[in-house]
Amino acid sequence: MKAEECSIAGTPSAASPGKYLTFVLGGESYGIGILQVREIIRPTAITPVPQMPPHIQGVINLRGKIIPVLDLRAKFGLPVTPSGDRSCIVVVQVKPPGCAVALTGLLVDTVDEVINLSAKDIAPTPDFGRRMDARHLLGVAKVGPSVKILLDLDRVVADETSSRL
Amino acid sequence: MSSLQTEPDLSIILNLESDAELLREYVIESREHLNNIEQGALVLEDNPSDADTLNSVFRSFHTFKGGAGFLNLVPINKLAHGLESLLDLARQRKLILDGERIELILRGRDTLKQFIDKMDAQLTGAAPLAPILVPTGEFSLRIQAAMVSEPKPEPAQRPSEPAAATAPSNSVTVKVDTSKLDCLVDLVGELVIARSLVAQDFDLQASANPRFARNMAHMARVTRELQRVSLSLRMVPIRGVFQKMTRLVRDLATRQNKEAQLITSGDETELDRNLVEELADPLLHMIRNSIDHGIESAEARAGRGKSRAGLIQLRAYHQAGGIIVELQDDGQGLNKERILAKALEMGLAAPDAKLSDEEIFQFIFAPGFSTAREITDLSGRGVGMDVVRQNIERLRGRVDVESTAGQGTLFKLVLPLTMAIIDGLIVQVGSERYIIPTLLVRESFRPRREMISTLHGRGEIVNLRGRLIPMLRLGEYFGVAPATSDPAEGIIVVVQTGASVKCLLVDGLLHRQEVVIKNVGEMIRQRNASIAGAAILGDGRVGLILDVNALGNVPAANFAMAANG
Repeated sequence: MKAEECSIAGTPSAASPGKYLTFVLGGESYGIGILQVREIIRPTAITPVPQMPPHIQGVINLRGKIIPVLDLRAKFGLPVTPSGDRSCIVVVQVKPPGCAVALTGLLVDTVDEVINLSAKDIAPTPDFGRRMDARHLLGVAKVGPSVKILLDLDRVVADETSSRL
Repeated sequence: MSSLQTEPDLSIILNLESDAELLREYVIESREHLNNIEQGALVLEDNPSDADTLNSVFRSFHTFKGGAGFLNLVPINKLAHGLESLLDLARQRKLILDGERIELILRGRDTLKQFIDKMDAQLTGAAPLAPILVPTGEFSLRIQAAMVSEPKPEPAQRPSEPAAATAPSNSVTVKVDTSKLDCLVDLVGELVIARSLVAQDFDLQASANPRFARNMAHMARVTRELQRVSLSLRMVPIRGVFQKMTRLVRDLATRQNKEAQLITSGDETELDRNLVEELADPLLHMIRNSIDHGIESAEARAGRGKSRAGLIQLRAYHQAGGIIVELQDDGQGLNKERILAKALEMGLAAPDAKLSDEEIFQFIFAPGFSTAREITDLSGRGVGMDVVRQNIERLRGRVDVESTAGQGTLFKLVLPLTMAIIDGLIVQVGSERYIIPTLLVRESFRPRREMISTLHGRGEIVNLRGRLIPMLRLGEYFGVAPATSDPAEGIIVVVQTGASVKCLLVDGLLHRQEVVIKNVGEMIRQRNASIAGAAILGDGRVGLILDVNALGNVPAANFAMAANG
């Protein structure tokens, strides 16, 4: 239902070739466009905000700016492991349509590397039918033997801000 | 538009004694409007039906004209009025802005700029004080012609040379992008925290080096001062805007042959500089409307048993950590029937809709809404309130209207804090800390068990010196495990907003601190209305500022459901 409210819901989006930052979320490998990544920080004290769904972890102080931190594992229904040595917060800059540019932190298990994807590496999101909600995906990338899931961050964040209560 | 006749060119004589300040502001504002007009006209040249640009250029002329009318700059007012009317027709799709008309608008803009440049030169003392004369009469005729018929080819005679690029030096004030200021304040805040982290470093303290201690103390002084200055950069008292309005009320009332008096209170209320700047325009429009449509003539007032002079009150105060600016007049009030009729006519309301007074009054903010029977040079085109609402909403505030027929109207601008600073009381609940605006705290105390009783097995009330006040267990409400569930071991903070009083049960009070309010972002704000904002506490962590008004309005269970939905 939220998807209908979001103005970009209907438009098909595809991943474009370029550099992607890859990271691990609950054992799966994900990629986001490098241009949207502002910085990667060590986990800092997250202030929990009352009455939030589990995937909104709270807010942090990023050099004087207050930014929300999302736990995408909780959002995507992936196993949530306690944060280890290698956990990070990836600070991304997104501009959901109709909204102002917003910084958002993403809690990830491990940051892997920056990879260069060419058009032939990228495949559209396979159709999983109703078993999976593929709204947030741009596509999948084959890197050697592994598969990276490319996230549509604008849509992930727009999803969080477009649901008027 | 029929007021435009062939008439001799008028000159402007500046009155530097009484108006210098206002003229200076007008010149600065006008430059912005003229730039907007120029850019808009160029956009319209490519796309004559771009509604947003049409509206924007129209509004610029409108505000430009309003200011000129108020400062009695007759030729500017006339010319701007003519061009505004032309744009109004285009806006209503009654004519198309073809190349000729765009040219006319641009030339008109250049002519207006000549006035402004000459005024600027005289104001800064670069030119001797003299009557300013720029020919406009022939221009008015061309505008009139452009409005009624297809534009005729004009001889290549230029009514005025485009003003030479005289770069005016505005050395008195510097306009700074607010995002830069925000950034500065954020960074200074971080500097203060970083400094205290260094100062508290155990290893450094253990060294007990007197030179280090002295240098740290010096650094503390400098950072404190830096913080104070950077914060004060943004804060100005609302007085300046209010003073401007005093003059406006007097001049407008005189022109309308009415008597009106402006009383202001809360002049010293400090608010964000950009809030003050953004407030001037909406207040101007609202006061114009008040005098134009609200306040009756002295005779009519006497007939209704009111004092001959209408009373307009401007009030500013802090409430619930926000800022309220009220404009109240004791005029005839809003005409509910006429507003509703007009709303029906414009298709804003369904004929069978049952609307509350508040809903009906909100129609006056619709674009193009005006119930005025004739257009004056100050108001009546129905742009004013539309602009008011836009401006206020841009500041993420809202406008409430209350009106009683025959008694007057009250406009209440509820403005958020955005960047304001508040004195906060920091309370502890379980492992969390929350900030309550100290302004709203009436008292705090450790309750005795017998003061608290349960109502209907659900709500709890506190008997405070005979007064029964509902109690909210903050920990329970927020789903945070408190240190103790026994109220007698916690602290009750009594908060008041307006007429409503609440008791908040917390584990303890930590301290009081001035905090810079920061936005928590839409993601949080939409899900929890009881979080007004956030602030960075002394240890660099984020503390949440409570919106005491919204606290407890929604049962906790509803939040959980909404969050999942």
